[in-house]
Amino acid sequence: MNRSVSALLRSQSATLIAIVVVGTVLLGIASQGDLFSPVGLRTFFQFLAVPILIGLAQMITVAVGQLNLAVGAIGGVAAALSAVLMADVGVPPLLGALVPLVVGALAGLGNGLLVMLTRINGFIVTLATMTILLGAQYALVGTRTVSASNWEPLAAVGKATVAGIPVIFFAAVAVAVVVALAFRFTLTGRQLLASGDNPEAARLAGISNDRSVVVAHTASGLLCGVAALVSLASLPGVNQSVGGDWLLPSFAAPIIGGVALTGGTVAVLGTVLAATVVRLVDTARAEFQLAPAWVNFVIGAVVLGTVALDRVRQVRAERRRGALRAAGPQNVTPVEATR
Amino acid sequence: MNEPGLLRRFVATPRFVLVVIIVLLVAVLVAVKPSFLNGTFVIAPLLTSIAVFTVVGLAQMMVLSIGHMNIAVGQMAAFGAMVSGITFDLAGWPLVAGIAAGLVAGAAIGALTGWIIARTGVNSFIVTLAMSFALLGLVPTIYSSLSAGSAFTTKPAGFDLLGRGSFADVCLVGWCGPAAIPLIVVPVALVMVLVAVLFTKTRVGRELLLTGASVKAAELSGIPTGRRIVLAHALSGALAALAGILLATSIGSFTPSIGDEFMLQSFVGPILGGTLLAGGYVSVVGTFLGITLTLVIRKGLELFGVGIETLNVLLGVILLVALSADRVREVRLRRGRTPDASGAATPEREEVAA
Repeated sequence: MNRSVSALLRSQSATLIAIVVVGTVLLGIASQGDLFSPVGLRTFFQFLAVPILIGLAQMITVAVGQLNLAVGAIGGVAAALSAVLMADVGVPPLLGALVPLVVGALAGLGNGLLVMLTRINGFIVTLATMTILLGAQYALVGTRTVSASNWEPLAAVGKATVAGIPVIFFAAVAVAVVVALAFRFTLTGRQLLASGDNPEAARLAGISNDRSVVVAHTASGLLCGVAALVSLASLPGVNQSVGGDWLLPSFAAPIIGGVALTGGTVAVLGTVLAATVVRLVDTARAEFQLAPAWVNFVIGAVVLGTVALDRVRQVRAERRRGALRAAGPQNVTPVEATR
Repeated sequence: MNEPGLLRRFVATPRFVLVVIIVLLVAVLVAVKPSFLNGTFVIAPLLTSIAVFTVVGLAQMMVLSIGHMNIAVGQMAAFGAMVSGITFDLAGWPLVAGIAAGLVAGAAIGALTGWIIARTGVNSFIVTLAMSFALLGLVPTIYSSLSAGSAFTTKPAGFDLLGRGSFADVCLVGWCGPAAIPLIVVPVALVMVLVAVLFTKTRVGRELLLTGASVKAAELSGIPTGRRIVLAHALSGALAALAGILLATSIGSFTPSIGDEFMLQSFVGPILGGTLLAGGYVSVVGTFLGITLTLVIRKGLELFGVGIETLNVLLGVILLVALSADRVREVRLRRGRTPDASGAATPEREEVAA
C-alpha cells in the first residue's frame, strides 16, 4: 500500500518534471531565447516564489482534511498591516519584516481555534474569516498604494539575485524543504498526516485531532505570512489587491501536484512543480500577449482534468485489486475508504 | 402536525429568530433614520437586491440540499447572463426567448459540473472551484471578442420594465401600485414558490433531500443518486443564471463582472436560514430571510455612510456567531438540559420548511 502510494506520487512528479522541461524548452524556442536571458530568468523565478508558498500553505490544511479559503486574505492583511506600519508609523523595516509572519500565524491560529471550538465546517469558518480579513485589509490601505520606497532595505532583498536567480525564490525553496522535512521527520508532522488520513484511527492512537487542526491552520497562516513578506519585498507597492488572486493557484498547486483532497497525504515536490507549471502557463500567456483571463481558464481546465484522471487511475487500481482478490483463495471483505 | 405544535416548532427555528432580528433592525433604522422609508430611493433598490440575492441563495441551497456546494455560483451567473446578452445583442431575440436561452445555458453548465462530480466522485468543492476559474477565464474573453466595450447593452422590449419598473408602472382602472415595490419581485416570488413546491410536494425533491441526508441510504432505496446530483447542479446553474440575468436587467447592461459578489452571499443566506451544509435539510423562507437580514444591514450601513469594508467584517462575524449559536444550541440539546428537548426541538433531518 505504502509503496504503491509513493510510486504514484513519484509518477506524478515524474510527469510534472517532464511537463516543466518540455514547456520550458517550447517556451524558450517560442520566445527566441528570451526566457533564458538574464531578465527572463529573473522574472520567471521572482514570480514563482509566491505561488510555491501559497500552494504549500494550502497543502498543509488539505493534509489534515481541512481547507483554507482565507490564504489570500491573510496574506493581504499581513502585507497591508506591515506596509502601513512601516510607511505611517515609522516602524523600522527589519521589524516590519516580522509583522507579516506574526499576523499570518495569528490569523491561522484564529482559524484553527474557531474550527476547533465551534466545530463548524472549516470551509465556512475560513469563508467568514476571509471576508473579515478582506474588510480589514480594505480598512488598512483603502484605495491607496503604499509605495515600496518606505521599505528600501526589504525591497533591496527582493531585487537581490544569486547567480541570476532571485533570492526570494531560494527562500521559497528553503521553506518547501523545511515543510517536507517537517512532514517526514517530526512527530507533529506525522500526527497531522495521521489525523488527515483517518481521524478516528488517529484518535484511537492517542493523537489529538484538535491539536492537528490548530497546528495545520497556524502553519498555513504562517506560510501565507511568508508569501506576504515576499510580495512586500518584490512588488513596487502594497494595495488592496495583494492576495486577491491567490485562491485558485493555492488549490491548483497541491491538486495538480498529487495531494489527496481527502487528507492524509502531502506532496511537497509535486506542489512546487505544479506551481512551476502554472507559472509557465502565465509566462506563455505573457509571451503570446493573450488576455490574463486565459490563465484562469487553462488552470481551471487542468485542475478538472487532473482530478478526473486521478479518479480514473484510482478506479482502475481498485478494479485490479478486486480482480486479484477474486482470484485469491478466499474473498476478503473490501476495506472501504472512510471518506 | 397540529396547529400549536407547528407554531412552537416555528418559534424554535432560526427563521423565527431572523424575523425578530429583521423587524427590530428595521424599527431601529426607521426610528434613527426616517429616510429609510423613502420608497423610490431606499425601499425599491433594497427590494430589488433582496430579490436578486434570494435567487442567488436558492441557487446555492439547491446544491446544499444534496450536501454539495457550488463555488462557481457567481461565474455561472455571469455565464448565463452572457448567453442572454449575446442573444439580445447579436441575434436580436425577444426578452423571454433570450432569458430562456440564458437559463438553459446556466442549466447546461451546471449539469456538466454535476456530471463531472457524479462521474468522478471528486469533492464538489474542487470541481466547482475549478469550474469557476474556467468560466472566470472564458467569460471575459468572450465578452471582449464579441462586444466593443466588453458589455452587451441592447435592451429588448420589456427589459427595463422587468429590471427597473415598479408597481407604479402597472395601472389597472386608473389605480397604480406603489412605486416602492419593484416588478422584479414577481418572478422571484414565483421562483421561490416553485422551489418550495419542488422540495415539499414532489417525489424528485424528496429524493434530492434523501440523497443529501445519506447517499448510501438513498442509493439502497433505489434512488438514482447520480442523476439527482446532476439535477441539483443543473438547477443550481439555472437559478444562478436567472440571478445574473435579473441583476443585468436592474443595472441595465450585461458585463463580465456580474456575479462577482455572489459567492459569499449565496452561502450566508441559506446558512443563516437554517439550511444544513451537510445536506438533507433546506428552507426556502429561511434563505429569503437570511438574505433579507444581510441586505437590510447593508442598506442601514449605507444610510449611515459606513463603508463596504465594515459590511464585510460584519457579514463574516454574523456568519460565525450564527453558526456558533447553532452549535451551542445543538450541544445543549444533546445534553438534554433544555426541558422541551425530547419532542419538538429535535428536528427531523429530512424535512422542509417552505
